[in-house]
Amino acid sequence: MPSDTPLIHTVTGANGADPPGVTAGPARSKIQVKALDFFYGGYHALKSVNLDIPEQQITAIIGPSGCGKSTLLRVFNRIYSVYAGLEATGQVLLDGENILDPRYSLNRLRTRVGMVFQKAVPFPLSIFENVAFGLRHHVRLSRGEMEDRVEKALREAALWDEVKDKLHTSALGLSGGQQQRLCIARAVALRPQVLLLDEPTSALDPIATGRVEQLLSDLQREYTIVIVTHNMQQAARVSAFTAYMYLGEMVEFGSTAELFTRPQRRQTEDYITGRFG
Amino acid sequence: MQSPRGLILRRRASNLVSKALGVAATLFGLSWLFWILVVTLINGARALSPRIFTEITPPPGADGGLANALVGSAVMSVLGVLIGAPLGIAAGTYLAEFAERRPVWRETIRFVNDILLSAPSIVLGLFVYTIVVRQIGHFSGLAGALALGLIVLPVVVRTTDETLRLVPNMMREAALSLGIPRWKVTVQVLYRAALPGILTGVLLGLARITGETAPLLFTALNNQFWSSNLNGPTASVPVVIFQFAMSPYDAWHSLAWAGAFVVTMVVLALSVGARAFLLKNRMDSNA
Repeated sequence: MPSDTPLIHTVTGANGADPPGVTAGPARSKIQVKALDFFYGGYHALKSVNLDIPEQQITAIIGPSGCGKSTLLRVFNRIYSVYAGLEATGQVLLDGENILDPRYSLNRLRTRVGMVFQKAVPFPLSIFENVAFGLRHHVRLSRGEMEDRVEKALREAALWDEVKDKLHTSALGLSGGQQQRLCIARAVALRPQVLLLDEPTSALDPIATGRVEQLLSDLQREYTIVIVTHNMQQAARVSAFTAYMYLGEMVEFGSTAELFTRPQRRQTEDYITGRFG
Repeated sequence: MQSPRGLILRRRASNLVSKALGVAATLFGLSWLFWILVVTLINGARALSPRIFTEITPPPGADGGLANALVGSAVMSVLGVLIGAPLGIAAGTYLAEFAERRPVWRETIRFVNDILLSAPSIVLGLFVYTIVVRQIGHFSGLAGALALGLIVLPVVVRTTDETLRLVPNMMREAALSLGIPRWKVTVQVLYRAALPGILTGVLLGLARITGETAPLLFTALNNQFWSSNLNGPTASVPVVIFQFAMSPYDAWHSLAWAGAFVVTMVVLALSVGARAFLLKNRMDSNA
């Protein structure tokens, strides 16, 4: 594969098969990735990746295991920097500001860019405190205001009706699907602008998966959502735009309808039709 | 080629033999513990009386109790934990959470801590004797507490380090991705997840020092009387047991048995309690 793969921008969308929520015409870019390289020690995990993530849309990143899709997602809130020996070079612009600049405050970045992980990890606190935890650190709220914010977040995550009578019991007692929605509530409670989801439904049963997907399409009105998924049907169902990655390179990016029905590149076609290999 | 039937019989036989050997080895090991416990319980229970808790250690030929030694032991053990546990928790937290970028340094500290963990307690007693008792010129309960604290320290460092490392990285990432600084994530989320393990470490450290004799011999020495001055010689149950058991007097022997009984029970209760607490929390979090 040539390393200088030209990026195919088909940020147009708008044909009959588009999922709801896709607006016609070019969307504004929320995140612009420019010539991003990523290294795990000596391993070159992302190779000169370019990508424009449109605002208030769902963008899916697909590709086989090890293609770098989770790595790319983890650059967007710099969560990778927890570990020693990991390095990103290039530019990632959030509203035009380079978040890879060491002067860009990590805590500011992470209040703008929330993240939900593959496995739901509720904190060993009550349901209420799980959602309130981030808020308490960032904003000073009265008791009543805090209760309102928590309720709002839990409603946004479509979890309120199931937990409203047991807010002060341990979050560890919730089911897997409920825990994942709690993690979404925890992230949206901070009112981020971008929501990153790393295979959020891979540990959930089909019913819980359906609820989370429904939730995502509700949330895209307010948030720019980037979802990494192994599941191509899921990408096709929920996203307006899809990026296909392979071996650390961005192979193709375009509107989901376009990419799944008329892929521009042979590799993409092979992958989405299952002929990959 | 063996017949399947022969093969099954052979496997059953070897299973039986290894099972029998395993059980026998366990029983052999446990029998000593059981023996010690039974002898201590029988002799101790015989010597036990309410006076143990109300009267101080007697001179030869008189009646008395162990009250001053019990109080001295309790105070020095608690002080020892108060010295060792906070330092140990802080150091363990550093190793598990904040030394990521200095692996050589981190592993060196872990190694040195393991040496301290297995250092003979009498060496710690001599160490405190040299740096404290010799300098201030007299034996001191505070020096005893310091020696006990040095025994607690590596136990707590190790358990804190290990239980924090058992907290899945995902929980760190999840908390950090809310824009919360590392120290707050550690204190408010990770400690909570690791709390049963850390507390168990502290309790096991307390159990360990409750029965320690050697580090007190050179530091707190002993005291036949009530003493409200912690900075002077201070009585402790293990040292009293040591002294009384070596003496030729029956009344002292009997008090030594009673002391052994009380210390054994306290240590047993602490160990069992710590483990039960850990187990209960494990089961709760699996529920």
